[in-house]
Amino acid sequence: MDNTQLIGLSRQAVLRRQIDVIANNLANLNTAGFRAQYIRFSEYPMPGAEATGLTGEDAALSFVRDAGALNDMATGSVRQTGNPLDIALDGPGWFVINTDDGPRYSRNGAFRLDAEGNLVTADGHYVQSESGNITFAAGERHITIAADGTISSSEGQKGRLRIVGFEDDLTLEREGENLFVGADPQPVETPSVVQGAIEQSNVQAIQEIADMVRVTRAYTSLAKLFSDAGELQSDAINQLGQLDS
Amino acid sequence: MNALQIAASGMQAQEINVEVLSNNIANMRTTGFKRQRAEFADLLYQNLRRMGTDSSDSGTVVPTGSQIGSGVRLTATARIMSQGSVLSTSKPLDVAILGDGYFRIQMPDGRTAYTRDGSFERSATGTLVTVDGYTVGQGITIPANARDITINAQGVIQAMIGNSTAAQTLGRLELATFVNAPGLEATGNNLLLETAASGAAQIANPGDPGIGTILQANLEMSNVNPVSEISELIAAQRAYEMNSRVIKAVDEMLSSTANIR
Repeated sequence: MDNTQLIGLSRQAVLRRQIDVIANNLANLNTAGFRAQYIRFSEYPMPGAEATGLTGEDAALSFVRDAGALNDMATGSVRQTGNPLDIALDGPGWFVINTDDGPRYSRNGAFRLDAEGNLVTADGHYVQSESGNITFAAGERHITIAADGTISSSEGQKGRLRIVGFEDDLTLEREGENLFVGADPQPVETPSVVQGAIEQSNVQAIQEIADMVRVTRAYTSLAKLFSDAGELQSDAINQLGQLDS
Repeated sequence: MNALQIAASGMQAQEINVEVLSNNIANMRTTGFKRQRAEFADLLYQNLRRMGTDSSDSGTVVPTGSQIGSGVRLTATARIMSQGSVLSTSKPLDVAILGDGYFRIQMPDGRTAYTRDGSFERSATGTLVTVDGYTVGQGITIPANARDITINAQGVIQAMIGNSTAAQTLGRLELATFVNAPGLEATGNNLLLETAASGAAQIANPGDPGIGTILQANLEMSNVNPVSEISELIAAQRAYEMNSRVIKAVDEMLSSTANIR
């Protein structure tokens, strides 16, 4: 294979990865608290030939490779649900969720109570306040959560939701189940907590579809390029290999 | 390319979403029905280039890794337990619960079920029963010659018997509450069953602190809001379409690869 095909293949490989990311964003269009991902590419220049005896310089070649998948950490739109245990964060910050593997961070605030009255996620992991799990007794009513995260009920104040931030949200690692892993969480002093609302996914559907069309076109045009390059080679072989009789 | 499977998981999720929404709309006029909501979570991620690993010998690290997701899954169809609107029916044995609580119903198989549907009737023997003929509570008998049946806010059932002008107490409706009422299991026929997630039923009288009160000659309608259901249905349908477009796009890419000669 010559350079045309190799460079084209490197491009196709990253386009395939990009369509995976787009598909994942679109699949999670209705996942509460989901964060869209974008793939970034970087150039990988081929080292040039060092021999000097050739006439003219060696052609500069560069391949493409994916440098990373960035998380889009913009806040999603907040939808009113009226359910008292749906909590959205308007602005920066993360809920702290206690899992078997340690603390995890989430923007999905669709919480509920378990049979013991603990505030939990849909998977049954405990939502953390500044002093641990949040538990409501059987008779407690009128659960309200103030804008600063203070939880109160008919039994009085129950503490404050633990809302943390990170120096750089982009360093958070995804774990699935709407959870993220991160190091060195810092408490957010003035969170903006909205009760009775859920933060939607921040995927921009139109943008994703446009990107998807672009990826498909780039991919198919490369396939065309391979056909053309192949044709060029076969023409060359046929013509140069002709024997004058 | 995982994109085909990822988009398929997205289509499946939206299909369930549409099923839940259509069930809500179908039960828009069902007494005591509580709407459900489909909730989703992203699936595991594949780490192609892990963040925080060294990118050179001089100690530079990869700031943001390359994580490729694998789609979406349904986590729950949570029931939203908000109060439904109350409809006046002028039928003395129709009762609505205002606030928290469930009527206890004895099922024919011996189990206890719970319901918000208070459209009760009298059986041939005078027992207070549901529309399916299941006994309400511990069994409250209303004699054949009872007239002017009243049920007060605390659930006490009184009636005039025969020619008597003094009201006689016939029994009391009790309400069950749960720590986690959305954890009840729906069995159809407006009946819910206790589960390990809901916690044990706590029986109380209507009007006790934190417990709902009873409103006679009214029924609680469903808490389905058709406007929000329809707008969510549109969003779900569009999301489904977009996922199917991804499948088409991937198909186009694969066919172009297959056709290289």
